[in-house]
Amino acid sequence: MYVYLYDNFLRKKNFASTIKAIEVKLTDYGIAGKILRLNNYIDVKPIVDDEIKKGAKTIVVVGNDATFGQVLSRSATCDCLFGFLPIGPNNTIAHVLGIPVGAEACDVLSRRLKERLDIGWMNNRYFISQLVIKPALIEVIYNEQFKVGSRDKMELVVCNLQPFYWKRSKTDQNTQVVNPQDGKLEAFLRPLTKKKWWGYTYEEPSVFPFDEMEIIGQEPFAVEADGKKSKEIRLKIRLAKNKVQMVVGRSRQF
Amino acid sequence: MIFQKNIVAQAPQEEITPDNQSGQNLNDDVETVVGPSVNVEGDLSSAGNIIVKGSVSGSVSTSKLLTVEKGAKITASVKAGSAVIAGEVKGNMKIKDSLELTSSSRVLGDICVKTLRVEDGAVIYGKVTMPGVEDIERRTSRLVKKIKKDDLDEAR
Repeated sequence: MYVYLYDNFLRKKNFASTIKAIEVKLTDYGIAGKILRLNNYIDVKPIVDDEIKKGAKTIVVVGNDATFGQVLSRSATCDCLFGFLPIGPNNTIAHVLGIPVGAEACDVLSRRLKERLDIGWMNNRYFISQLVIKPALIEVIYNEQFKVGSRDKMELVVCNLQPFYWKRSKTDQNTQVVNPQDGKLEAFLRPLTKKKWWGYTYEEPSVFPFDEMEIIGQEPFAVEADGKKSKEIRLKIRLAKNKVQMVVGRSRQF
Repeated sequence: MIFQKNIVAQAPQEEITPDNQSGQNLNDDVETVVGPSVNVEGDLSSAGNIIVKGSVSGSVSTSKLLTVEKGAKITASVKAGSAVIAGEVKGNMKIKDSLELTSSSRVLGDICVKTLRVEDGAVIYGKVTMPGVEDIERRTSRLVKKIKKDDLDEAR
């Protein structure tokens, strides 16, 4: 049995035609199922647990990167197969998973090509796409082996499924795409340096693949993981290998 | 609400969105990069390539390529598959395959390497050993001994 979790933004009129096309295709393939609508105040975990008890075998997230993060960060421990139907803008994870945006995603879902994905774990919860620490006075210890520090503040981005893009200057063409299943998480550190009179500029990023990392702040720092913000003074990030089973496309990047 | 200012968080630089990345060079290999103005203390080890642009103290080890860029500083013992040095290294280096020292490089320590390439202006202060040379010496000494033995036998 399939259960579809629709994001709240899909209620907008401009997505109505795509939703209709998707629902028709799902019915054609014989994989239509129960539809549940999410909003910001709903905890996904009990809903998914409840549906699994009722006999759901596949949970399909319908929405964008934010929806994907919201659902999987809470329900990564659930024992079921996950699917993803990306709709609208802000869909970078779908590209990594090899799932096309829009109604064509139903073809990928119907093929049921399963793959186990690594996810990140921070302090007491999972994160799927990215973890971002805005510039702060932090020190990072990797795999209990070496310590990385800087003179000034540093920005830290830990990538799992969502790629990290940066640009050194407007003319720079260098971008990096991170594979989600290479057995490691990737940390991108960008120290801030003061300009001549005012303002700051980002330095070139440092890249460290890791399994385990500890971040110690001189003062509490803001952490954003899958859209959820919190303040921490000490943060432990680990890689949870093969935690989530997912339906992926043939053109996936791993 | 009419008079409320729209506060927009200003990012120091322009970020790339996935929508406008067409025609850009996408790198799939993520390697360890120590950026400029970053200090690393401890045992920096990696299974992939390492690029050092900042400073490292402790030890550096990789089975693949180590690149030390101009202006970078390593105060550590180094073990690598092969290496290209353009910065400063203070410590002993053990390179399995090949080592290239560019004109801006400064190495203060002993080097053990199979193949060494040194550009004009590179500074080395230390002992350079090549493991292949020991084998050649052993082989030549064995040959000399054999020839001497044969000569003695013929004389008898």
